[in-house]
Amino acid sequence: MTREDDRTLTEALAEARDAGRRCVLATIVETKGSTPRKVGARMLVDPTRGLVGTVGGGCGEAEVIESAHRVLASGIPERVRVDLTDDLLSWSPAVCGGIMDVFVEPVSPTAATEDRK
Amino acid sequence: MSGLSAADVAELMLATAESGGSAAAVVIVGSSKDGVTGRRVAVTRAGANREGLHGGLGSPALDAAGVDLMRQALDATRSRDGLREVRLDGERFELYLEVRRPVQELIVVGAGHIAQPMAHVGSLLGFKVTVLDDRPDFATRERFPDADRLVRADFSDPFADIPLHERSHILLVTRGHKYDYDCLIRALRTDPPPAYIGMIGSRRRVRATFVQLIDEGFSMDLIERIHAPVGLDIGAETPEEIAVAVAAELVMIQRGGTGLPLKGVERIAERFFSQTSEDEK
Repeated sequence: MTREDDRTLTEALAEARDAGRRCVLATIVETKGSTPRKVGARMLVDPTRGLVGTVGGGCGEAEVIESAHRVLASGIPERVRVDLTDDLLSWSPAVCGGIMDVFVEPVSPTAATEDRK
Repeated sequence: MSGLSAADVAELMLATAESGGSAAAVVIVGSSKDGVTGRRVAVTRAGANREGLHGGLGSPALDAAGVDLMRQALDATRSRDGLREVRLDGERFELYLEVRRPVQELIVVGAGHIAQPMAHVGSLLGFKVTVLDDRPDFATRERFPDADRLVRADFSDPFADIPLHERSHILLVTRGHKYDYDCLIRALRTDPPPAYIGMIGSRRRVRATFVQLIDEGFSMDLIERIHAPVGLDIGAETPEEIAVAVAAELVMIQRGGTGLPLKGVERIAERFFSQTSEDEK
């Protein structure tokens, strides 16, 4: 994650918090093999603003966005394991030959996760 | 219990790193215990001994384990962000640890034609970029839209308003070699030494500069620290190409690369696909 990415995502998180919006934050917490984004890459799913940042794009990211919608509804964090090892020679942009583990958590404007549980 | 949100932690870490400090945070991303996932604790280090603790994981023992992990990571020069496991009172906690190091600074001395692409590339690489000149018409926002700081300074005392430290990367590209030399001397006398001092100039100019430094009593050890001629040897000629050559050198120093083409380092075709290869196996 670059300094610019960090700034953009932090501003988006703060803006959602200050506006009182519930969002979902996805963070790559582990990768194996070759993945488009590395550990620490984050994506904010903000129902009003849309997506800020990326965890790699393509099919892998679609799985994460699906999870984000569940998390937004339930308020319960999830772990998504995205497997990009299908076919190394297919040349699809989402296929990089790696596996990534993504933590998908609700971001509430007022309190941390445990208070809702 | 007041929780620390993802937004709070992100802001705290970013602000700390931007102001030259370092920070670490852990968040519980999995546990055998219910209802604890998403809790966070962070450690910030603003100065040498100014450590702050923020948020909490829900129990003093778990906080202590988290703080231990964060301190270990912060004390090391390099650490890997990622998962850590903690076992406590029969419960298992999976923590995601991340660290922010102090933002590195690039100080471009001279706001001329090389400074423009240099400020741009430096900013892309995540440097906090300062552009400095004695001419107010040159170090302008129009010419340097992505610089963090534009400073007007006299070249006889260029760093008067810019605190230099071990995260400073100084590139000397003023309009005249005399100014480069004046600024070079200032940079060399800085304590602690900056991470990088680069100076533009041909082989001849650089030799002349070194002769003058030796005459003035600078040690060879100090002279060896100057990156001049500046940048990696990629045949750069235009200001943009020179900026790329310097940027490549900065990355190489930070990451510890060889500066050689990877093709030649790896020799994949020769090693794996050539029948006459000697080290086929």
